[in-house]
Amino acid sequence: MSLEQVAQLTVAGVINGSFYALVGAGFGLILGVTGRFHYAFALVFTLSAYVTSVLETPAGLPMPAAIVGGLLAAIVLGIAIERFVYRPLARASGAVSLLTIFISSLGLTIAGINLITLAWTAFSRSIELVPLRPINVGAISFASVEAVLVAASWLLILALSGLLNFSDLGRSIRAARGNPQLARILGLDPDSIYLSVFALGSFLCGAAGILDGARFAVQPSMGIRPVMFAFVVAFLGGTRNGPIVVGLAGLFVGLVESLSGLFVSPQWSSLVVFSVLFIYLVLHPVDFRALRASILPAASSPRG
Amino acid sequence: MDYWWDILNLVLIFSVFAISLNLLVGYTGQVSIAHAAFGAIGGYTAAYLSAQIGLPFWPALVAGALGAGFAGVLMSLPALRLSPEYLVLLTIAVSSIVLAVVGAVPELGGAYGMIASKPANLSPLPGGDLIFPHQWVMPLLAFAAFTYLVCYRMGESAFGRVLRAIRDDETAARALGSNVFAFKVVVFGITSAFAGLAGVLLFYYNQIASTSVYGLDVSLKIFAMTIFGGLGNFTGSILGAAVVQLLQPMLERIVRIDPGQAFLIQLVVYGLGLTVLVRVRPQGLLPEGFSLLRALRPAKTRLASQPSAKPISSTVAAKPAPCAQTAGAAAQSSVILEVRDLSKRFGGIAACRELNLDLQRGKIAALVGPNGAGKTTVFNLLTGALRADGGSIRLQGENVRGLAPDMIARKGMVRSFQNVRVFARMTALENVMLGIRELSTDWWCWPNGTRGGENLADLLLLPHMTGRVERHTHERAMEWLRLVGLANVAQTPAGALSFGQQKLVSFARLLGTDADLLLLDEPASGIDSKWVEQILELVAHMRELGKTICIVEHSIHVVERLADTVFFMELGHITAQGTIGELTSDPRLAEVYFGTV
Repeated sequence: MSLEQVAQLTVAGVINGSFYALVGAGFGLILGVTGRFHYAFALVFTLSAYVTSVLETPAGLPMPAAIVGGLLAAIVLGIAIERFVYRPLARASGAVSLLTIFISSLGLTIAGINLITLAWTAFSRSIELVPLRPINVGAISFASVEAVLVAASWLLILALSGLLNFSDLGRSIRAARGNPQLARILGLDPDSIYLSVFALGSFLCGAAGILDGARFAVQPSMGIRPVMFAFVVAFLGGTRNGPIVVGLAGLFVGLVESLSGLFVSPQWSSLVVFSVLFIYLVLHPVDFRALRASILPAASSPRG
Repeated sequence: MDYWWDILNLVLIFSVFAISLNLLVGYTGQVSIAHAAFGAIGGYTAAYLSAQIGLPFWPALVAGALGAGFAGVLMSLPALRLSPEYLVLLTIAVSSIVLAVVGAVPELGGAYGMIASKPANLSPLPGGDLIFPHQWVMPLLAFAAFTYLVCYRMGESAFGRVLRAIRDDETAARALGSNVFAFKVVVFGITSAFAGLAGVLLFYYNQIASTSVYGLDVSLKIFAMTIFGGLGNFTGSILGAAVVQLLQPMLERIVRIDPGQAFLIQLVVYGLGLTVLVRVRPQGLLPEGFSLLRALRPAKTRLASQPSAKPISSTVAAKPAPCAQTAGAAAQSSVILEVRDLSKRFGGIAACRELNLDLQRGKIAALVGPNGAGKTTVFNLLTGALRADGGSIRLQGENVRGLAPDMIARKGMVRSFQNVRVFARMTALENVMLGIRELSTDWWCWPNGTRGGENLADLLLLPHMTGRVERHTHERAMEWLRLVGLANVAQTPAGALSFGQQKLVSFARLLGTDADLLLLDEPASGIDSKWVEQILELVAHMRELGKTICIVEHSIHVVERLADTVFFMELGHITAQGTIGELTSDPRLAEVYFGTV
């Protein structure tokens, strides 16, 4: 293995890792605060990319307007799912809500992705975020859009972290994440906090969708793999931790995936990632009871 | 016609998946979305063996099921201590790993999969090669029925009672003497073996094993079938499999649409159907515990519980209650529990240091002291919930330090919890039945060291004997419930009872274990005063039954009423011992405990 090879793979790992960091931070925020297994994150991701792409080319809007349109679509869809699907379902299903929400989220994703295919066909589309050109630094090369992706991902993660730490809304969200029961006692309305969290998470998710669409292509199944990684990264980072920690976990996953290419052929790289996850789960002494209490407040509160 | 036979066959194969997954998710509370991946292990094993060494159907089926079962046991080991959310993640990882491996190994056909070299042939059974869908119906019916019967037997029995206890509250199940880890390993192994069996059937039926046949989306589909049908009942799982599997063909027949887009529209409706169905019936199509067998003969099954709500005072004198172990008490030493130099540190804090404690047989001792003195920690150390750093704990002369909580419980020391920890979704009667068991030291009496339904060998091979033990357990549990005055609510889910009643249920549960030594953590706290009197009477009555009792209690009134000996604990150490009168007359202790008196 040559030094250039290592450097090139590291850069590729940072690019993928930044993307995982972004989806992980969005997914982790939702999971950590609301405890919902939001599989439809994949749908929000895909819709945002499609709306941006469609607004750009057939509709002829300027790029910034198309991006705003895509992000708005993501936020509206995320909020609507929470308000009209998850919230009533959580009330109706009580102790098994973790499972029922997961199933309904899965159903929404299947339905939504096929609706998107019906509306815009299965042919892949594109988003031209920046003029495509390769950037060469020494022997390392990467695409311009990849540089944008890395910068945008970390800017968004830092912005989210700042919002959570230095605004009233952020403080309420962190309170709800740390101790839902106490937050309720202090008079914070969980319903509105959940909606804000879905708005924020969907915003990050939509941004990730647009960036991914610009980097590769916009097509119906583009969200499935990212949601898997978001899931993994959010848990590795810890659902009670802030977006920066989750982001670093994403970076770690990206680097592991990429650098494993030094030792095994690329088709085994996802095997390496999931094996690392497996080993982590076997070895890591997580405080599961605290986590459980945060995720399943209804099931773990003492009855009286 | 073959079109509908084909759909029926798939419903049957997926019933095998969904029923076995229900035993894991619905009964044991272990969420897995890797079920199709275990099918892949079974299917690929059979495909490989039949291609390489020409193994016929039956041996290939057995090999596939065993291989998947073995993989399930392996997965259960890291899964033992994981909460549901992390278990989902673990199973996603396992599923991805299995699919990545079978998809990347050239010997297994890589991304294209393995095509079967010959059709299934069930010889020595008649019927020849199975080629057309209608030929498959009878064999698949038999496999589905076999799965249903085995899973039903495991789920709706003493064995399943332990599983549901694990689902509701693992810690409490261990504290009552159930070897929770072993049960989980067994259930992971058996359910994975059934998934492997279904995977083999799927391979022979489709004549191909490929990653798409067993993909994560298939696991999710099986999961959806199980949730839909309703957790905790197997008939529902069959219905769930049928509904999900029929959704697409029904649409195809009913809605006439442009064939180019038909497939997409079907998937849209399928997805929305999933969402709407869980919304309409979040608890599933059929409620927990519903079964065809029971629905067909409703009158006979449940022994009618006589509504007798006699208060304890009238039963105390009347009945000596089942308590066999006092017979040799005179011959035994008068000290039942001897604790020497017990220590436990949490980082820099000594929660318990060189603690010495002797409990006299047949007496009530009380452990008192200010908050944070380490009283509950002592209970946790004694019962094995926490591992002590040093010292010895001798129960009836035998060192029990370092044993697992369930082992200690079976050796005769059980505890109650401050927050009671009843099994909320199980009836009061079932809660008590969980404590009652017929112990045996035979090696095959595993995992709980018992005869009867908790023991797989008895459960599956000796139905008659298992039935006798179960009836006996039922009668004894009713006796204990009657003793605590709750016979009238025997069939009520414990979670629906008042806190005071839940405490009584937890006492009946302890009494049911026949343990000699009962550790009661704040028996009278947090409950309505009308129950306090009843509970005090009950604890005193336990002493009359020959039990040794140690209570942790804040109320000096309760201690005064009950305790023969009082241990005063400060900062992890016992600093005084005597009757309550002696302790309260010591001005220093009074200062520490009561502030100024």
